[in-house]
Amino acid sequence: MQTRRFLKSSLSHRSWRTVEADCGKTGLAMLNSENPDVVILDLGLPDMDGITVTRRLRQLSDLPILILSARSQEQNKIMALDAGADDYLTKPFGSGELHARLHALLRRVSRSFNAMEIFETGQLKVDLARRRVFLSNNEVRITPIEYRLLTILIRHAGAVVTHRQLLQEVWGAEHIQDQHYLRIYMGQLRHKLEINPARPRYLLTEVGVGYRLSINEEFMPQDGSN
Amino acid sequence: MQNQHRISPGSTAGSGVLAEKQRQLGYVWGVAAPLACTMIDWPLRYWLGPASILMTYLLGVFLVASRYGRGASIVASLLSAPLFAFYFARPIFSVAIQDLENMIGLAVMIVVANVTGSLVEKSKLQAALARQREIRASALYRLSRDLAAAQDHDAVARIAVKHLQDEFGVASVLLNVDSENRLQTPSSLPLPAALKGIDLAEAQRTFENRTIKQENTIEYYPLQGSCAWQGILIIQATQPFPWQASERAAFLDTFCRLIAQTLERLQLAGQAREATLQAETEALRNALLSSISHDLRTPLTRIIGAASALIENDAELSIAERQDCNHIVLEEAQRMSELTGKLLDMARLSSGEIILHRDWNAIEEIVGSALNRLDKHLKDRPVRTLLPDNLPLLWIDAVLIEQVLLNLIENAIKYSPAGSPIDICGQAQDGYCRLTVADYGLGIARGQETQIFDKFYRGVAESDQGGVGLGLALCKAIIEAHGGVIQVSNRAGKGAEFVIRLPLREPPLVAEPEAGASVS
Repeated sequence: MQTRRFLKSSLSHRSWRTVEADCGKTGLAMLNSENPDVVILDLGLPDMDGITVTRRLRQLSDLPILILSARSQEQNKIMALDAGADDYLTKPFGSGELHARLHALLRRVSRSFNAMEIFETGQLKVDLARRRVFLSNNEVRITPIEYRLLTILIRHAGAVVTHRQLLQEVWGAEHIQDQHYLRIYMGQLRHKLEINPARPRYLLTEVGVGYRLSINEEFMPQDGSN
Repeated sequence: MQNQHRISPGSTAGSGVLAEKQRQLGYVWGVAAPLACTMIDWPLRYWLGPASILMTYLLGVFLVASRYGRGASIVASLLSAPLFAFYFARPIFSVAIQDLENMIGLAVMIVVANVTGSLVEKSKLQAALARQREIRASALYRLSRDLAAAQDHDAVARIAVKHLQDEFGVASVLLNVDSENRLQTPSSLPLPAALKGIDLAEAQRTFENRTIKQENTIEYYPLQGSCAWQGILIIQATQPFPWQASERAAFLDTFCRLIAQTLERLQLAGQAREATLQAETEALRNALLSSISHDLRTPLTRIIGAASALIENDAELSIAERQDCNHIVLEEAQRMSELTGKLLDMARLSSGEIILHRDWNAIEEIVGSALNRLDKHLKDRPVRTLLPDNLPLLWIDAVLIEQVLLNLIENAIKYSPAGSPIDICGQAQDGYCRLTVADYGLGIARGQETQIFDKFYRGVAESDQGGVGLGLALCKAIIEAHGGVIQVSNRAGKGAEFVIRLPLREPPLVAEPEAGASVS
């Protein structure tokens, strides 16, 4: 209740139009009638499991889903992301942070990955047509696996990609538990693309969840509460 | 050694047969000794006087008495008398005796035989008693030794039953008593088959009467401790006890007392543990209450103040003042959020609910994530990280280790001057990954190096620095759950340095190594 009120007031001030649903069923029903651009889904629903709702939403449409989770719902959050949610916010959060996440999700939808030839953020430039990576206009040589990881992150740029999704897409379903693969290749990628790998600007780690490619420095999660 | 003195029904029966044989042999010697004396003395009768001959008979009787006891010695003496009278005392070849001297001699012989025999028998009896006592003592010694090691009531019951079985071959069962003075039916040890039929109601009655009770072959022994009755021992004597009744009663009495004392010891130890725990919980609760009252009420006071100012004086406030109030609300709410988060974490960790979601993790990632999350707090502080590329992956719960790093870095920010650097280093060393977070502040006061990891401990009580003194306690709990160590020390003239040591494990191999191939 309180969360919905806060969301509504803070979003309407930034010229978003919101429609509210007080339970999972209504939310799913409203999907067709209201035709939203993005869904904000709280995992603690009165009538059904947030993960089930995510799964149903995914069956019905491709629209971006932002999960709101409490600290005690870590595991559920990851399950919801694996079920197809695009990003998450842990309560409590600031309205700036919420705003940045929604923007990132919409932007990703607006520029379809397939149509994109060049991806650019900060000093990082990836030529997707020619499969080449540049940092400050200097070409960086990366391996096929590193490139695959990078393109998956670019496809979800700004949103979090779970360990499971990355492992599945790069190494296949049989390596879904082999998190050390990810650590090693993401580490290599970070060392090639980051000025200071211990304080990355592009390849951000969401500890315990996955990775996120930061798309624009002003939408970094940490400036959320400003 | 241990089995040497053990009486088992079999060996007791064996010794009985042996004693019977010994007795028969005694009678054989009792007959043989006088005959032998007669045969030896007959050829010598012209050289030896009747007194000397009588002495040889006496010697024979004495030897038999000393070896085989009274029965044999009486036989020997009674046989010696007519033999001496017939062959050696005048008139020869007649049992009649003329000389008073010989008569006295014979009488003395009979008395000596009797006295010696009974003395020997008495000493034998005493030796047997002494041996039995020794057996009893060593049985009790073994019992007390085993009981000393017993850690719970079930163990005591097991030991008691086992000892009774081993020493006497009798089946038994020990019932403990619960807090309402009801006997507990054993759950962990099934009733021995022989005791399936015992009447538990009868046991309860006997326990309440506090008296030993015998009923057919079942005996009930209530166990008396020094301040409370501890339970009841029920013995089913399917075969006769190999000991005398008095010995047996004395033994069982001591046996029961030993068990009762052990049960009492366990009970008291349990109570002491509980009391300590209660005291600790109490102290923790007090610390929690006092810190909550301070650390939650301070921000609340400010939030309420700012919010009510915004509502009540809305018209009079300038834009800057309004902004100010808003900032206060936000900042204090954030502080409270952080605090409640820590309290919840601590509660989860200390209730033993912590489950480590371990996986292979790169410490560089975790450091990076922690620094990113603290970006706002770090502002323009230089953070120097020294994490070698070849640092192995760690088998850790990344979320919790990030929590540790967040706490340590926050700590460094809080307790060192603005703008001073923070150093984060990692290195692999002797099977451990050594992580350090160091600042350039005042350092830790001497003697507080371990205290600062205690719950609700703060360097300066009620300081402005916020926090409840839970951060470091949380760190310690997390690191220890990982089998690691966390310590703090002062670097000479530089500030505090927190050192974490996490055990290294052989990381798994990566199946498809790429030989540095490039996509382009």
